Amino acid sequence: MRRRVVITGMGSVTPLGLTVEETWQNLLAGKSGIRPNRIFDAETFPTTYAAQVPDFDIARYVKNPADYARCGRNVRFAAAAAKMAVQDAGLAAGGFDPVRTGIYLGSGEGTLDFFTLCESIAYGTGEDGKVSAAKFAEMGTQRYDGLRELEQEPNMAANHLAAEFGIAGPTYSCLTACAASTQAIGEAMDLLRTGELDVVMAGGTHSMIHPLGVTGFNLLTAIATEHKDEPWRASRPFDKNRTGFVLGEGSTIMILEPLERAKARGARIWAEMTGFGSSADAYRMTDIHPEGRGPAAAMRLALADAGVRPEEIDYISAHGTGTAENDKVETLSAKLVFGPHAYKAPMSSVKSTLGHLIAAAGATELMTCIMAIRDQILPPTMNLETPDPECDLDYVPNAARKAKVEVCLSNSFGFGGQNDSLVVRRFVP
Amino acid sequence: MNRRIVITGLGAVTPAGIGAPALAAAVREGRSAIGPITRFDASVHPSRIAGEVREFDPADGVRKDQSRYIKKMAKVMAVDIQLAVAGTNLAVLDSRLPLGDAKASEPVLPTIDHTRLGMIFGTSFIPTELDDLAGPVRASHVDGRFSLKGWGSHGIPQMFPLWLLKYLPNMHACHTGILWDAQGPSNSLTTSDAGGLLALDEAVRILRRGGADWMLAGGAESRINPVLVLRYCLVHRLSTANDRPAAACRPFDLDRTGQVSGEGAVVLLVEGADVAEKRGARVYAEVLGTGAGTTTAGINACDADGRAVATAARRAIAAAGIHPSDLGAVVAHGTAFAPQDKSEAAGLRAALGPAAGTVPVTAIKGVTGNMGAASGLAELAAAILLLCDGQVPPILNCARPDPEAGLALVVGKPAALKSKVVLVTSNAIGGQAAAAVVRLI
Repeated sequence: MRRRVVITGMGSVTPLGLTVEETWQNLLAGKSGIRPNRIFDAETFPTTYAAQVPDFDIARYVKNPADYARCGRNVRFAAAAAKMAVQDAGLAAGGFDPVRTGIYLGSGEGTLDFFTLCESIAYGTGEDGKVSAAKFAEMGTQRYDGLRELEQEPNMAANHLAAEFGIAGPTYSCLTACAASTQAIGEAMDLLRTGELDVVMAGGTHSMIHPLGVTGFNLLTAIATEHKDEPWRASRPFDKNRTGFVLGEGSTIMILEPLERAKARGARIWAEMTGFGSSADAYRMTDIHPEGRGPAAAMRLALADAGVRPEEIDYISAHGTGTAENDKVETLSAKLVFGPHAYKAPMSSVKSTLGHLIAAAGATELMTCIMAIRDQILPPTMNLETPDPECDLDYVPNAARKAKVEVCLSNSFGFGGQNDSLVVRRFVP
Repeated sequence: MNRRIVITGLGAVTPAGIGAPALAAAVREGRSAIGPITRFDASVHPSRIAGEVREFDPADGVRKDQSRYIKKMAKVMAVDIQLAVAGTNLAVLDSRLPLGDAKASEPVLPTIDHTRLGMIFGTSFIPTELDDLAGPVRASHVDGRFSLKGWGSHGIPQMFPLWLLKYLPNMHACHTGILWDAQGPSNSLTTSDAGGLLALDEAVRILRRGGADWMLAGGAESRINPVLVLRYCLVHRLSTANDRPAAACRPFDLDRTGQVSGEGAVVLLVEGADVAEKRGARVYAEVLGTGAGTTTAGINACDADGRAVATAARRAIAAAGIHPSDLGAVVAHGTAFAPQDKSEAAGLRAALGPAAGTVPVTAIKGVTGNMGAASGLAELAAAILLLCDGQVPPILNCARPDPEAGLALVVGKPAALKSKVVLVTSNAIGGQAAAAVVRLI
């Protein structure tokens, strides 16, 4: 008999706020988190803006700020979000068995020391245009900070959280691109269902707003470059004139527990996690399967796992990146799964204002589903001005909408073909 | 009642050669594959030795359509990803799943339900190859200095369009998924040295919940590039015994000198025993239990008391439903970095209890170096092939075993295997530890 799993705590830092509540209210108001890039000088880059997390003081969230002196933005975001989640859950130190508690993050890389890399490469480049590794090492040995380099590894966020909160059980860190934190929460749910663990801290954290991150996405022409003077218009999911996503950053961390444990300790229950589906496109490196085979499989598997019929879904939190291909295929795959109900189930994309948090996107979007259930209101898809005949569903355009929201489906599809969907519902005892 | 899970395919590309038997043979013969770094000019790096995989071709041995795909895509696959592709191909072919063979020119008609085939890799952050950035960096100079403005206007246009995809840590699963049409769950666990065994741990969980019928569980990483060797030198983990490469990596030896960089990919095909039986598969071993734990000591520290390893081993032993004294052998991570070795030994002592004095403990990194995310499954693959003959091979280069280890380290000559139940452990400094208990068939 598998155990029921509930969410008892949430913490989040996003471009739209430094708390869950602040982010949620700004989403409902349709405010945009997209601004000119102030993390680094991107003036001459094809894309000059991003959705950036406001500055905050790490010392407010961690025991010893010096432990975070060399880490990447991703780790700082995770530490802040996790602290708020733990407080929100009322999970005091000593309130959990360290080895029966785990972590499962979808986590990206740290913040690369781009200048040292490039200057060491320049120093090592010979007449033939090849880099001498020896000369590279000559300068690199002088310039690189070893610990800061170590903080590049994507598991560092989980490692910091384990040390910060004294979590000594199984910890996992996955990086399935944009699907990572949806996958993390899905697998975390299974670790609890089977009884392997008592508590899992799960979610995502990422910032690709660094020179090589923006470079990489610009090269793939995956991110928008237009609307330089009005960057809040750049992210246009499901709009006919969409041109790509806008990079965001941040972290959302949740505390998951079996229902019985949450009840026994009198915890406030945000929602119940009931379904998880995971699939791979296995199609092409750069393209989604044109018939939406992979996304449809993930959605179907999640619905089956939750034991709900498609008609029972009140809201779909779309992956909705704002790339021409994603939005078209996601629409198609929703129709495959939902049939005629696809036109009745509202499906919006918070990426229109929040940007694309990559490995943190799924957890953050799940959070918005949970808030939608709490407040019985759906967050809008902003900038949806010109309908696209190929995207003809109800995307909750341009204004939040009151609605009955009991059961939600949250989608994340990763670059490289990983597809993950979660079903979350109002907790009913 | 938990579904029984068995290992039916082994694929390995390691410094010891191509194929799991090559690894097993090198370990049996005590032949180190560690030598001077030839991949790049390491003359300035403090550590200049490594276990390199030489002359492997990821397009070998597969169907023509697959071979064409690999040859076409190789330029956008970093070494880690090419290793993963090669290891996966070997595992699938070894498993004899009916997915087509090298003689076929086109995909065979599907004979299995491909939505029931999934894969999980342990992978790591892959640094860019320096030459990929050389031209763009040079073009970015303004007044003789590297400039971000110059990078934006003149550097980026010189980069090749798919640069990012060459290095993403989920591209191993992307390419192998395409090659073998694996439409089931796909994950990429970036948990450093623990990645391979954690991939197995998750694959077992997915099979038990009915999420797939076949899972490829793998680990792949190359620690041999100018950026990573420099990084691990800067945090003082690597051996500088450059003048005696074959003797440099000395797990649990009093004269240990640090880790030696390695690389490779090891992939297992795992499936439900029911499914394996139905298709008449050859079974190498049964996975009795897996477990994981984490250090709380900090991101670059090892627990003195080995808590992380102890937690992982205890969980695996408990999940297997055995007692530590039932174990016939332990294949340890044994990186030969002193704090990590000591921590691991303490953790194994704690988990084994009184059995620590009698269960033979061996390690293979004297042969391969540290293959990172591939290492846990390399140890498992070596155990599966080697221990069947009843012998636990000695730890290469462990001449003067550290008496503080308090373990029955296998030194000098093979020890007798007392039972076919084997524990394998791995751990990442500052982070995850993972363990698996398997029964050899």
